[in-house]
Amino acid sequence: MTAPNAPVTTPTTPSSEAESPDTRAKRGLATADLITIGVFSALYFVMVCIATLVSTLFTGGFGSIFLPAIAALISGPVFMLLDARLRKFGGITVMGLVIGLFLFVSGHFALSFVASIVFPLAADLIARAGAYRNKVLLLVSYVVFSYGLTGPILPLWFMKDAYVASLEARGKDAAYIDGVFANINMGTFVLAMVAILVCALIGGWFGQRLMRKHFVKAGIA
Amino acid sequence: MADVVSRTALDMREVSFRYDAGDAADAAEVPPDAFADARQTASPPALDDASLRLAPGECVVLCGGSGCGKTTLTRVANGLIPSFFHGVFTGSCLTCGLDTTQVPIDRLTPLTGSVFQNPKTQYFNANSTDELAFPCENMGMETAEINRRVSEVAERFGVADLLERDVLRLSGGQRQRIAMAAANMLEPRLVVLDEPTSNLDSSAIDDMRLLVARMKADGVAVLVAEHRLAWLNGVADRYVVFKSGRIVRSCAADEFLALSPDTVAGMGLRALDLEPYRQRVRGLVASEAASGRGADGASGVPLLRTRDLVIGHDRRRTGLRFGLAGAGRANGRDHRGVQDRSMPFRRAVDDLTLYRGQIVGLMGRNGAGKTTLVRTLTGLMRPLSGQIELDGRVANAHALTRAGFMVMQDVNYQLFSASVREELMLGFDEDDADARTRCDSILDELDLTAFADRHPMSLSGGQKQRVAIGSALMCGKDLIVLDEPTSGLDRLHMEQVGRLLRRLADSGRTLLVVTHDEELAAGWCDRIVMLSDQR
Amino acid sequence: MGLDPRAKLYLLLLANLMLFFHVGLVTQIVMVVLFLTPLAAAGRLRMAARFAVLYAALTALGMLDPDAMGVPQLHVVAALAVGVSMMLPCFMTGAYAFTTTSASAFVCAMRRMRVPETVVIPCVVIIRFFPTILPDYRRIREAMALRGIASGAFAWIRHPAQSLEYVVVPLLMNATTVAQDLSVAALTKGLGRKGAHTSRTAIRMRAADWVMMSAATAPLVLDIAGVI
Repeated sequence: MTAPNAPVTTPTTPSSEAESPDTRAKRGLATADLITIGVFSALYFVMVCIATLVSTLFTGGFGSIFLPAIAALISGPVFMLLDARLRKFGGITVMGLVIGLFLFVSGHFALSFVASIVFPLAADLIARAGAYRNKVLLLVSYVVFSYGLTGPILPLWFMKDAYVASLEARGKDAAYIDGVFANINMGTFVLAMVAILVCALIGGWFGQRLMRKHFVKAGIA
Repeated sequence: MADVVSRTALDMREVSFRYDAGDAADAAEVPPDAFADARQTASPPALDDASLRLAPGECVVLCGGSGCGKTTLTRVANGLIPSFFHGVFTGSCLTCGLDTTQVPIDRLTPLTGSVFQNPKTQYFNANSTDELAFPCENMGMETAEINRRVSEVAERFGVADLLERDVLRLSGGQRQRIAMAAANMLEPRLVVLDEPTSNLDSSAIDDMRLLVARMKADGVAVLVAEHRLAWLNGVADRYVVFKSGRIVRSCAADEFLALSPDTVAGMGLRALDLEPYRQRVRGLVASEAASGRGADGASGVPLLRTRDLVIGHDRRRTGLRFGLAGAGRANGRDHRGVQDRSMPFRRAVDDLTLYRGQIVGLMGRNGAGKTTLVRTLTGLMRPLSGQIELDGRVANAHALTRAGFMVMQDVNYQLFSASVREELMLGFDEDDADARTRCDSILDELDLTAFADRHPMSLSGGQKQRVAIGSALMCGKDLIVLDEPTSGLDRLHMEQVGRLLRRLADSGRTLLVVTHDEELAAGWCDRIVMLSDQR
Repeated sequence: MGLDPRAKLYLLLLANLMLFFHVGLVTQIVMVVLFLTPLAAAGRLRMAARFAVLYAALTALGMLDPDAMGVPQLHVVAALAVGVSMMLPCFMTGAYAFTTTSASAFVCAMRRMRVPETVVIPCVVIIRFFPTILPDYRRIREAMALRGIASGAFAWIRHPAQSLEYVVVPLLMNATTVAQDLSVAALTKGLGRKGAHTSRTAIRMRAADWVMMSAATAPLVLDIAGVI
């Protein structure tokens, strides 16, 4: 472009946008906030990967059924520290959204994306109601946030239908399979949802305990 | 006259700055030992009435102890104050003619480049070419222009062989070269370097000198804040010495270099000329080779002895790779012989004997296998072949891990508890009166009593190091390995580490110090083992 | 010669639609072949072959007739096989998108699709920071082994909360440092600048992209319309 010593030619910045550098503090998410969100999202993504691994180990083919619960159990500290570092609206939403995006790109069901937006957004609103400081609201927020990972479970409910369809296509009777899966479907659904609730409460409480014990004391949160 | 002003790269007048309480949560600029108090009370001014001008093509070195204000000055110059670090600012700073307090930092981006201390945390892209392209992309340049610049700058800064690589797999020195090239992508008029060499070995530091000379030749003004001063001989035009935020001395290079070593030491600075230190290191290495690996002078059974040791790892470490493709060439070693950690590595090590009461330095270039060796000696890795004896008996990896301890370069990974006392008592019964007494005496020995109830992560780097050492002493470890304990330390703190090592050795422990720091090695090591390059 | 990232995303979307609409077996096989072609063309032959074998095996398993064999319990296995084989196309296109797209192209595609910086920047940071977590974890485990605390795999089962605390606290402490250092570095390089951010990678929809996209759309549309 220009020689090193040529006069200043900064790319055109409309003067209306040329704000003074110190005003960035309160308005929305600044670049530094987005970077913080990214770093914590990466950690959360690791937790999700671990949860996938563990869940697959325990439940075999029904891989992701307990994914959200296990993720909820171990991600509490990540969630709580992100809130404490940021204390701004948007952090939780963006984290959920970005994780949903990565799950989608790595081949998870597209509808999971909806859950990855709705639940984190609700969680963000709840946490904001407590100014990101109220312990109880943060815990509730974490529980709601944890449901954001239910997306990857959804295909399990398509599975039976698909098999029934394939049986019918071959002119077979699907009575047996209907019988077996009627129980499994409803039962596992309730179990998975309750597991998320319980695990999120434990995980969130653990996260808040670590916050008090370590991060507040170390002056980081 | 107007021309002179616009051509001045940096014009700082009577600048004072005091960090906001929250923003001082950054140990770099608060005197380490006053860190906690600084957080609770109003922090002292980090910069006090500093004035400085830089002309194009000029290289000015800012020096002084930790927390003297030199890093703060670089932050004022590149606009991070007030864009990122907040506080009370008085005075004026014109960087390339722009008032840093008035314009957003984006306006300064095309005019100033910055390189920071830690090669691990300052790259923003996983791929090295992306990292070079990054500033251009942010400025909205055309694709063709970006790529033209990437290859042109890569050529000019000698990093063409590092393009399209996974930054995670580059050595610290290679990362800093990429950082230097990235800082020059927008053809800036001022480049600010904040302790760029604190994690590098001597050959990587030599590369940095060449790059600084390169920038000066291009007419770029260079502002360097540094502890290690010797590498700047010949490229620095002016030295500015700080103390407690104030500039106490400012003089031309030839005048400064003529100062006697004692005067320099008196100002709390690192040596300007490393030759005497290197000579002593060479002497120790030679006597080590002559004496058959330190057999003389020490009596009794050695603590640790290796026989026909071959270290390394055969399997290719894949690690957890993020799917997104892009990182290319994995050819084991690059042409400079730096080890790629993901590739198999194997080398034989001459038999080594460690006695109690000695400080043994372990030196050698990056990639020679120093880290692999100490990891093997502490049982974190198994040797490929050969034996390690502990107190005369062959020991397996498990026994070595029990007997040895390593203070890692990044000590943050080895502190787990909520207070210094708990950290030491970890694994011991709280009610064990004997353990408590021992804990108290170790706290005392390491000058940590005053911090016993503080969270380890709220301490300075040096204090954390001492806590880690304390935890090793508490476990009754005999062999303590320190990995680069003085990287990024000023003279005062380097000597503090040296004295501590001496004290520990005198009380019968064995210390093995992996270091690039010639001043530490020459001043404090009893023996030096040089791990030669091996292909 | 790979496809445009946007074409890859489109394939991913099609795979999801397949799952949603319960396409027939013939359509599924045709689509799988179509999905594996670009993967093989991108040089990931082994990966494509593995997917093909897995898909074939699962489909065969799903074709079992448990009633005729007199073991109705096998229905559960067969159902599982059909279920997983349904999800495989998603994983195929996902693996293709994930392993053949450079970070730079991915970011460029996102910006072209007008994804806001609020999402783009965290994504870049994830790609940058994620691979460093495993080495960090290894360092922490080593430090724990040296201290003789909670080392070994059994510790995770016996003291799960304690082990999690020992690992998570240093990881999070490190994360806050990295976040600050990255912010500082990125700000000086103009990441926060308003206005368009460009890319060193030129992405463009070429004929091959359009051909691939329409080829993969056709069977799905025909299936849904009831032609196949």
